[in-house]
Amino acid sequence: MKNTKILFLISVALIFVVNLFSSSINSYYYQIIIYCGINIVLATSLNLINGYTGQFSLGHAGFMAIGAYVSAALSAYFAPNLLAVLGDGTIGRAIWFIGVLLIGGAGAAIVGVIVGVPSLRLKGDYLAITTLGFSEIIRVVIQNLDFIGASQGFRGIYVYDNGVKSLEMVPELSSMKYIFYEVPKFTDFFWTFLIVAVIIFGITNLMRSTYGRGFIAVKDDEIVAEAMGINTTRFKVTAFIIGAFFAGVAGGLYAHFLQYINPEDFNFLRSVEIVAMVILGGMGSTFGVVLAAIILTVLPELLRDIQQYRMIIYALLLIIMMILRPQGLFGIKLHKKKKIAENQEPDKKIE
Amino acid sequence: MSLLKLDNCTIRFGGLTAVDSFDAEIGNHELVGLIGPNGAGKTTVFNIVTGVYDPTEGDVLFNDESIVKYKPYEVTHKGIARTFQNIRLCPSLTVKDNVRISYNNSCKSRLFSSVIHLGGYHAEEKQIDTDINEMLEMFDLHVDADEYAKNLPYGDQRKLEIVRALATKPKLLLLDEPAAGMNPSEKKDLMKLIQKVKDKFNISILLVEHDMNVVMGICERIYVLDYGKKIAEGKPEEIQKNPKVIEAYLGTGA
Repeated sequence: MKNTKILFLISVALIFVVNLFSSSINSYYYQIIIYCGINIVLATSLNLINGYTGQFSLGHAGFMAIGAYVSAALSAYFAPNLLAVLGDGTIGRAIWFIGVLLIGGAGAAIVGVIVGVPSLRLKGDYLAITTLGFSEIIRVVIQNLDFIGASQGFRGIYVYDNGVKSLEMVPELSSMKYIFYEVPKFTDFFWTFLIVAVIIFGITNLMRSTYGRGFIAVKDDEIVAEAMGINTTRFKVTAFIIGAFFAGVAGGLYAHFLQYINPEDFNFLRSVEIVAMVILGGMGSTFGVVLAAIILTVLPELLRDIQQYRMIIYALLLIIMMILRPQGLFGIKLHKKKKIAENQEPDKKIE
Repeated sequence: MSLLKLDNCTIRFGGLTAVDSFDAEIGNHELVGLIGPNGAGKTTVFNIVTGVYDPTEGDVLFNDESIVKYKPYEVTHKGIARTFQNIRLCPSLTVKDNVRISYNNSCKSRLFSSVIHLGGYHAEEKQIDTDINEMLEMFDLHVDADEYAKNLPYGDQRKLEIVRALATKPKLLLLDEPAAGMNPSEKKDLMKLIQKVKDKFNISILLVEHDMNVVMGICERIYVLDYGKKIAEGKPEEIQKNPKVIEAYLGTGA
């Protein structure tokens, strides 16, 4: 048990070493690797909510959007100030990046509380629809906020010498000097996989602990969990906050990699894609979900050659998978609940 | 002084009065039975005590403190644990982990120290592990400690439910039909087990049970409910002779 810390340090060292060679990787492959990392963060964080705690959330893209926009907007709008204070060195950029990622994650977590507290009273399909609704609200709000580009998307800001900040070039000031501060390209192999390592080790450690078993108890049987002294609401909200936080961080990684974000990047389909990773990997299995995140990121790229049949094969594979292994790649197969138990009279009322 | 006191408890679901002005008292280190025909309101009484339902009228006092407004997990923190009529073990957890969730509230390592293993995390986990193994051994469940709970034989699942409830360190244990579905020899073992639990952990037990041999065999006092109303209370011998009880169970003579 104690060697998890050492294992973590070894993997961080390994990530650091691999990062040194990252410039020699073909940029197309490099991009896929980074997307794999971002999707692993998204899928494992959603797995904490959907898999371990058993609360079916369909709004992960919404939290990702908040993290992406908050961190990208901070990076662009405060670029002059940050450059002045932190400089352009490696350490300065690292502090800058960690700062905006954390603030982006925190923003998503705060919204997670606001969304989670009322909607976690609901169960199953109702919770899924509520969270879906909230994530669509977030997207539509962003689509209407002009200072972050609205539906045009956000890539950076123009700062004119007279202090005017604008998303586009201003024709009236065409004679004036300006600097374009784009969303900096901070995300690289090291940062992405450092966060991947943090979340994988964090969740594995958490689920092994006595405290962490509480999440699983909430999933298995809320009434029992309550009867054994577990504050189920608190556990559900905690899972939601952690999940939202890391979705926000993943959004920050995404924004600082692509350097351009658009509300459409965070639509309903993105949420579904993340849910598909969790279900394919096996609800409540971190290893399975990591594997599924990689498969579902790489697969569409492998199928690029066959163009229009791509999505058909992608969908077919998912369907076949769900028929053959409904519990996911590494999920635990559970017996179906006995119908008799539900017909017994008294405890039913508790629900 | 009484450990648990139900003071004139009434609960109505719409037009139905499930429990009607029920008074009961359980003293320290006492084994009390609660019996009655099907639908008499026994499990409802459990649900009132454990905070699942708030009584429409009346009060529930535990150690002279009203626990009516507490949520189920808070009631558990106060020292009341329960088992369920239809076995409710966590299917995706092992036998050991099913007991471990009862330590969830009392363990000091919360979210942060559980993630980065700060402070006394390892020492505490080790302590909990030893405790669980001890408990399981006491109930002969240690052989299957790492088996999924759903794979245990029926009788052992019932036992595990009791162990899990005991792991919350209660002062009062509520057992909801622990003998349901057991054969005669298992029932005998269960009776011994309940006695042993009561003496070893020095707790009070409230037992809901249909099997008269079990109830009459181990309970010190018995309350009888019928249609939500208390129709009798007293020692087992008195209850057996009580005409009202006989009528409730067998009907009036033809």
